Amino acid sequence: MDKTLALIKREYIQRVRTKGFLIGTLLLPLFMIVITLLPVLFAEMNTAKKKTIAVVDLSGKISQPFTKSLSSSEKNKLGKSVYRVEQIAINANELERKKEELNKEIKDGNLDAFLIIPADIFENNRFEIYEKNVSNFDFNAKMQRYVSATVTRLRLVDSGMDADLVKKLSRRADFKTFKVGKKGAKEESSALAFGITYVLVMILYMALILYGSFVMSSIIEDKSSRVVEVVISSVKPYQFMAGKILGIGAAGLTQFAIWIIVAALASSYGLLLAQQFAPGIDNFLLPSIPAWVYISFLVFFLLGYFLYATLYAAVGSMVNSTNEAQSLQWPVISLLILSILLMMGIIRNPDSTLAVILSLIPFFTPIIMFLRISLGAAPLWQVLLSIIITLGTTAALVWLAGRIFRVGILMYGKRPTLPEVIKWVKYS
Amino acid sequence: MTTLKLTNVNKSFADVQAVDDLSLQIDEGQVFGLLGPNGAGKTTAIRMIMEIILPDSGVIEIFGKLNSRAVRDQIGYLPEERGLYKKLKVIDTIAFFAEIKKVPRKEAIPAADEWLHRFELAGWRDKKVEELSRGMQQKLQFICTILHKPKLIILDEPFTGLDPVNTNLLKDVMMELKNDGTTIIFSTHLMEQVEKLCESICLIDHGKNLLHGSLTEIKKQFGQNRIRMGYDGKADFLEDKSLVAAYDDYGQYVEIQVAENVTPQQVLAAAVKQTTIKNFEIADPSLNEIFIQVVKN
Repeated sequence: MDKTLALIKREYIQRVRTKGFLIGTLLLPLFMIVITLLPVLFAEMNTAKKKTIAVVDLSGKISQPFTKSLSSSEKNKLGKSVYRVEQIAINANELERKKEELNKEIKDGNLDAFLIIPADIFENNRFEIYEKNVSNFDFNAKMQRYVSATVTRLRLVDSGMDADLVKKLSRRADFKTFKVGKKGAKEESSALAFGITYVLVMILYMALILYGSFVMSSIIEDKSSRVVEVVISSVKPYQFMAGKILGIGAAGLTQFAIWIIVAALASSYGLLLAQQFAPGIDNFLLPSIPAWVYISFLVFFLLGYFLYATLYAAVGSMVNSTNEAQSLQWPVISLLILSILLMMGIIRNPDSTLAVILSLIPFFTPIIMFLRISLGAAPLWQVLLSIIITLGTTAALVWLAGRIFRVGILMYGKRPTLPEVIKWVKYS
Repeated sequence: MTTLKLTNVNKSFADVQAVDDLSLQIDEGQVFGLLGPNGAGKTTAIRMIMEIILPDSGVIEIFGKLNSRAVRDQIGYLPEERGLYKKLKVIDTIAFFAEIKKVPRKEAIPAADEWLHRFELAGWRDKKVEELSRGMQQKLQFICTILHKPKLIILDEPFTGLDPVNTNLLKDVMMELKNDGTTIIFSTHLMEQVEKLCESICLIDHGKNLLHGSLTEIKKQFGQNRIRMGYDGKADFLEDKSLVAAYDDYGQYVEIQVAENVTPQQVLAAAVKQTTIKNFEIADPSLNEIFIQVVKN
C-alpha cells in the first residue's frame, strides 16, 4: 500500500504540475463565466438595437395610451422596452408631406416602421402600417393587438365606464406551453435547463476521453523511457496500474473540485457580478444546478473513469508509441462516441425502454444514465442497478487488463496480435 | 550462506530458447560476474531473478526463499535499459525510488544528499533529470539502486557509457559495498573489470551455463599453458601444430597456447632459433582468452 501510495503521489504531482492541467483548469471556468454572461451581453446588444416606430395619430387619442401599454408590456430580458415610439401629432393636411418624410427615414434605416391612425378609427376600425418588410407577421399582429386594445378601451371609457374598471377588466391573459408526451402533459423544460444538461454531458464525455487517454499515454511514456522495468522490479504490475489510474484520477477530481467551487461561487456571486454589467437583471439568467446533479456528475465520472481508464491502461501496456495506440484505442473511444450519438434520441424519450436498457449497459452507463438523471427520468432503482453493473464490469476488466498489463508492459517491439493477447490472458 | 541459487531454469520466447537449463549458485558477500556475448541470455536471467518475467520451469531461490517478492525490497536492481522520470527533480527521483522500496522520504533525503555529494551531483539536486547528461543520469540511477541499502545488488552492464574517472568511482563504491557484506552480481562483456573485481563468474552463451565457479579455480582449470612473448624477427615456429595449439600474434608480441604434452621450454627453444626474444612469460590465461576460447568452442 505504501508503494502504491508513492506511485499515486508521483503520478498526481507530475500531472498537476503540467501546463496543460493549469490551462485546462482555468479555461473551463472562464468559459463558464462567458456563457453565463453571454445572455446578458446579448440582451444588452438587443437593447441597443431597439425597434424604432413612429405613430402618426390623426385622432389625437390613440398614440399616448398605445405607447404606454406597448412599452410597459413588450420588454426584453433586462426589463427594458423593446420599442422606441415616436409620437407624431399633425393635422390631416400635413399627412402627405409627413409620409414622404417618414418613408425616407425608413429607407435611411433610422426608422423601422410607422403607423398612421386615421381620425375616424373609432368608426372605420382601420389603421395603416408602413414598413420595409410587410410580411413581418409577428410585428404586424402585435401592432394590431395593441392598437385594437387601445381602441376598445377608449370606446368603453367613452361609453361611460370607469377608466380604472376598464383597465382592470381588459387585462391580458398570458399562457405557458406544455409538451404532450407518452406519460401525459409535461411542462416543457426551459431551454436553459436543457443547455446545462447538455454542457455537463459534454464535459463528462470529454473528461472521460481526456483522462482515459492520459492514463494510456502515461503508461506509454514510462514504457518508452524504460523506467517501467525498475519500477516493476519493486512493485507488482497491478500496483503500478493502480498507481497510474488512481493518480491521474485524483488529478481529474482536483480539476472538477476547482470547477465546482468556481461554479458554486458563480451561482452565488455571479448574479451580483452580472448586475454590475447590466443593472436590473433578474435571477432567471443564472443556471442554478441542483446539488444532486453535481453529485451524480462526480459519481458517474468516477464510474466511467475507472471503467475506461482500465481499458486505456490495457491498450497502453500493449503498444510502444502513441502512434501505435491510435488504432488500438479506437474500440474504446467509439464506445464513448456512441454514447454521445445516442444522447439526442435519449433526450427526446428519456423514459423509453430503449433508454432504460442503454443506460444499464456499463459502457454507456456513465454518460446515458447521467443524462437520464439530470433530465429527471431515472428512478432510483435503475440508478443503483446501473452503478452495481458498472462496478462489476469494472472489476472484471481490472482482472483482465491486469493480466494483459503484466505481460504487455515489458514487451517491446512488434504490437501484439489478438491471439497473442488472448494467450497473455490465459498464461500469465 | 547462499544468497542466490538457480536450479535448472528455462525460459523461451516464441522459438528462441533464451535461458537453457541454467543452474548457478552465488554466496553471500561475493562479487559475481555474469558473462556472455551479446544475446547470450544474461538480461533474461536477471529479469527472472527479479521476477519481472517468470521462468517456464526451474527454481529460483533468493536468501533461501522461493518467492523473491517477499525479499525484493532487499534487492537493488540497475537494469540494462536505464530509465528515469525526465520531469522529476533529481532529489525527488531518489526519494521516489526509495519510497517504492519502503524507505520513507524523510530517511531517504539525507542519505540521498550524501550520495549526491559522493557522486559529484550535489549541484544538480534540484534540477530536473532531463537537464542531466547521460553519464550523470547513470550515476543518479546507480544511487537509486543502492539507496535503500540492499543486501543484494544486481547491476546489468553498470559500466557502459561511463568515462574512466566515473568507472573508477563506481568500482570504488562497489568495493565499499562488498566490504559491508553486500552481495553484488553484475553482468558485462568487459573482461578487464571482471578479472579485477569478481571472485566468481558464470559464463553463459545461448542461454547455457558454459563455465561456473571461482575465478581462481577456472584459471587453474585452463592451466598454466600460456606464453606471452615479445620478439623481433620472423616467427615461423607458430605454424608448427606440434608445438603451438593456438596463437594471437601482434607482430612484435604474441600470446601462445601451448600444444598438449609440450612444455613452454620446447616452445622457447624453437623461438630462440628464429627470433630475438625481448621478454618471455609463462602465465595464466586471461579471462578474455578463456572467454573467446569457450565461446568459440
